[in-house]
Amino acid sequence: MTTFPFGLTFCRWVRRLLLAAAVVALVAWTVFPFFWILLTSLKQPLDVIATPPKVFFQPTLQNYQAIFIGQKRGLYASARPDFPNFFLNSIIISCGAVGLSFLAGIPASYALARYSFRFKEQLAFLFLSFRFAPFITFLIPLYILFQQLNLYNTYTGLILAYQLISLPFTVWMLRSFFMEIPPEVEDAAKIDGCSWWGVLTKVILPLSVPGIAVTIILGFMFCWNAFNYPLMLAGRQTFPVTVGAIQFISYEQVLWGQMAAASLVAVVPQLILSLFVQKYIVRGLTMGAIR
Amino acid sequence: MLRHPASARQRETLLPYLLLSPGLLLLLGMLYPFFLGVYYSLTNYYLQYPHLFRFIWLRNYLKLLEDPLFSHSLKFTLSYAFVAVVVQVGLGLAVAVLLNSRIIGRGVIRGMMLMPLMMPPVITALMWKIMMASTKAGILNYLLSFLGLGPVNWLGAMNSAIVSIFIIDTWGNLPFVSLILLGGLQSLPTEPYEAARVDGASGWGVFRYITLPLLKPFIILAATFRVMDSLRIFDVIYAATVGGPADATMNLHMRAFFYAFQWYQMGMGMAYAMVLLILVFLASYILMGYWKRAAEQTSL
Repeated sequence: MTTFPFGLTFCRWVRRLLLAAAVVALVAWTVFPFFWILLTSLKQPLDVIATPPKVFFQPTLQNYQAIFIGQKRGLYASARPDFPNFFLNSIIISCGAVGLSFLAGIPASYALARYSFRFKEQLAFLFLSFRFAPFITFLIPLYILFQQLNLYNTYTGLILAYQLISLPFTVWMLRSFFMEIPPEVEDAAKIDGCSWWGVLTKVILPLSVPGIAVTIILGFMFCWNAFNYPLMLAGRQTFPVTVGAIQFISYEQVLWGQMAAASLVAVVPQLILSLFVQKYIVRGLTMGAIR
Repeated sequence: MLRHPASARQRETLLPYLLLSPGLLLLLGMLYPFFLGVYYSLTNYYLQYPHLFRFIWLRNYLKLLEDPLFSHSLKFTLSYAFVAVVVQVGLGLAVAVLLNSRIIGRGVIRGMMLMPLMMPPVITALMWKIMMASTKAGILNYLLSFLGLGPVNWLGAMNSAIVSIFIIDTWGNLPFVSLILLGGLQSLPTEPYEAARVDGASGWGVFRYITLPLLKPFIILAATFRVMDSLRIFDVIYAATVGGPADATMNLHMRAFFYAFQWYQMGMGMAYAMVLLILVFLASYILMGYWKRAAEQTSL
């Protein structure tokens, strides 16, 4: 029998090779789009459309400069770019939505985690069902309502609309974290004379700080990703980055380089924040169904 | 301090509702537009002609049945969801098994898989749109040319646009499926495997008759989430093709959006939206039932 390196049999050698090939393919499939968008964001317009595509070129930061500071067009001084505003809008709306969801969500999820009362499961399911409802079922009536209530193109309106994303998530996520705290801890505090308020603020909340932090971060990230609601309920003054990024596509032209730069900047918060909540992302995406 | 026992008990029963009240208030704020939308679906609401506003019962829904745009969108929505979920769950299972085997840098790869997962779907679509340029300037066509394959008009031709949407969708959501299934694989009990080894079962037999049945609740859960999200996929299609070319990627969600926000037929748009909602809830109801049964069987 022929001998192969590392003393492996032929069959196992082939299996190892296939496994390695699969891993390489998986890594390339996952990483390559990021790599390519980074390259594109550093290219001049002519390099973007060069045939064949260029991997080596004179890198430039002019796309980033254009989206943050503005660029000169001919003789005219350019208008101030919108992108920094879009970024700020994303932060304002996402923070507002998560904050409001927390004020309402902490007592609600505590009640759903600890008390038994009529219609409890139905109510909990009602919150969950918003996770699966198509956006458009809310978008059309909200669009009409917001026009009438002067909430169209306002932060208040968008924060209220974003509750459809952040509130169901917050309630289910916090509920799953609260349920992990053994009830005996609470009973002990109750025997010591704590009211429900004391139990909640002195026992439950301090014990679930990590869970609350995870819920805040993930809720923020999900709001950051929202696209449909702001697409129709926001105007140029309140667009978040997701809607802002497609503004580089117009009838006349597509500003590929600037769009790539804007897209990358738009996901920087996501990539940084996901480092902190790595272990919980799947749990968050399944609304706490998978621990 | 002494409390009257009866009043204390009454407070206990009221308390959960009291705690829920801010959340319920917001919930009602979300349910109000929903029921308003249901009402609009029974009217001929044109945004531009509000004076024509009339309650027309189910006539919008009857019109749907004759609308060729509707049957086209319905067919595309259902077949896309079916194919996407089957392929994505299959691939996700393969990736999960791969990540569960002993490979170098498993933790790093697992962390890397989270990156597409947390991207806004619109940005994902824009990223791929750059790579899917139709000429040879597009990097995907350039890479294909090494395999001797001609330039593909990715987002510009009807069939390839559907495939392109599927590729973009899969890039963003494959990690979701594989990470759920990987979690499932890592939580499996070891006893059945030891018994199988004693019986001298083959690798494939172990996978087919032990791993797959035990993994069933996880597979169904991942499929449930994917079914619901692919039935209502919108962001990716909007950014990549806006439903085109020639309506090839026009699903019910996009069509509802077109009716309401391009043609300002709010009533008709809501009728499309309601059909989609009913589809999503039917699918979730059936799949959740399967999931509960599978979870009970494997006692998870």
